[in-house]
Amino acid sequence: MKIDKNKLKELANDLLFDMSEQEYDTLLMEFGELVTQMKLLEQIPNVDEGEPLIYPFETTNSFLREDEPGVPLSKEEVLSNVADSYAGQVRLPKVVN
Amino acid sequence: MDYTALSIKEIHDLYLSGKVTPLQVVEQAIAKAQKDTNNALEKTTFAEALKQAKDLSNSPVEKDNLLWGIPYFIKDNISTKGVETTASSNILKGYIPLFNAEVITRLNNKKAISLGKTTLDELAMGGSGMSGHLGYTFNPYDETHKRRVGGSSAGSAAVVAAGIVPFALGSDTGDSVRKPASYAGLVGFKPTWGRISRFGLFPFTPSLDAIGYFTRSVFDAALLLEVLAGRDEKDFTSSLKEVNDYTKYRAGVGGVKIALIKGISDKITNKTLLEAYEKSLKELKNRGAIIEYVNIDQVLINAIFSTYFVLSCAESTSNNANLDGVKFGLRQAGETYLDVIKNTRTKGFSPLIKRRFIIGAYSLKQENQELLFKRAQKARRLIVDEVNKVLSKYDVIYLPAAPGIAPEFNQKADNLNIEHLVADNHLAIANLAGLPSITLPLCLDNDLPIGVNLTGRAFAEKQLFAIAAVVEEITGLKGLQVGSKK
Repeated sequence: MKIDKNKLKELANDLLFDMSEQEYDTLLMEFGELVTQMKLLEQIPNVDEGEPLIYPFETTNSFLREDEPGVPLSKEEVLSNVADSYAGQVRLPKVVN
Repeated sequence: MDYTALSIKEIHDLYLSGKVTPLQVVEQAIAKAQKDTNNALEKTTFAEALKQAKDLSNSPVEKDNLLWGIPYFIKDNISTKGVETTASSNILKGYIPLFNAEVITRLNNKKAISLGKTTLDELAMGGSGMSGHLGYTFNPYDETHKRRVGGSSAGSAAVVAAGIVPFALGSDTGDSVRKPASYAGLVGFKPTWGRISRFGLFPFTPSLDAIGYFTRSVFDAALLLEVLAGRDEKDFTSSLKEVNDYTKYRAGVGGVKIALIKGISDKITNKTLLEAYEKSLKELKNRGAIIEYVNIDQVLINAIFSTYFVLSCAESTSNNANLDGVKFGLRQAGETYLDVIKNTRTKGFSPLIKRRFIIGAYSLKQENQELLFKRAQKARRLIVDEVNKVLSKYDVIYLPAAPGIAPEFNQKADNLNIEHLVADNHLAIANLAGLPSITLPLCLDNDLPIGVNLTGRAFAEKQLFAIAAVVEEITGLKGLQVGSKK
């Protein structure tokens, strides 16, 4: 696993946040720990030959809800948690100026 | 009398006998909560609780409803309508849910009385009780405030251990209820995956997450499951399996087969813990249990934490992508909408959370997925198959819940020491395999508690309670609380 600070910055950018230089240094060290952890997985004989287990056990829920009309949240309720709204809509900086 | 330090059942019996009213009990709980010195609380709802308690005190006691008028606290990653819910993260500052989690609706229907929300490790990602936005949560057993209560359900563990309420809700993704229960001398329970609806729980790692809780007795844990278990159409992963009459368990271990996993128990070095564990085994044997050491391939045991770590980082990265400041929570200004989101996420998440997200994103990258995320999922299957093999021959797995007493805040977890890694993280087995699991106090070491854990077969909670009740009897630590055994 090859990782450097630039790669970490790319990942942070993909995740839409930034960190201080010091935090990237800490993270680089933690990647060292991740490598050690991954070695423990590598040591499992034939680990890559099996099927992944996505949930703890195979579930049998395979139905859909009835398509019944319900009462959704009101516009006021939805906007009650929005930091900036205007004329009944969520307001963000203009995309096309 | 110290009512709030009693069990749910004991408080209910006092209500029935007319010796105390919900108002008196709630007033006492509030008075204690107001003096909380453990930094356990996020948001309190005392005025509403007092009103509810007053109303109940003027109406007849509901004889068959043991949760009637019982005060409790809620971990702050569980949605509460009209009450700010932040999961101890700045990014959710000001977020007020528009609906109740299913567990809250069920407790409301039973007329239990919420006193508010408790602290946690930010977004439930952590096991120390040190990473929430309000700072460290302290272990009530250590007045010098040097020790952790554990996490992520830190505040909920602290309020029950401090005798403020008889129960509190938590969530458990790796051991976030069952480990703090060990450090705080409590019963900590997580159900089978899908047994309790997770509607309204902020997702961390949905393939591992469970809502759980802290109580002072095994009976109270069974009682809560009877109320909280069951199908909920709002949670697609909630099970259709019939709910049992869990409180009707018959405490006993005659003929019960108990497995001790050697590769885990032999990593425990704390002498007091080992002596108490051995003693409990002897007592269980005397009462008819069949106890045997079993072996699971050590490479699989050693990989439990790694598997958990990779899966939890990856799933959480994706599940928290909706925290962007646009629709709810904190928002930071920016020139463009992307700047708004980036500034919000930069300011809203702590460095620890960001680092975990980056590790998660890295393991999900197409070029790394096979070697990291998929490999962890494959390792998960191998671990789970082995555990289920053990449980096909034995009724429960019985192990110390933690390597020792609650660590001090400045004590670093030595994740590179494999012995410690195993002893400190094996409880994640129950999350990887979705199994019901309960921790209860086993002994005290220098006046600080250490718990023992029982993990049973999927959906066999009733049997788990029956066995746990015997351990509770053997240890004599039912109702343990700060100062009670000094």
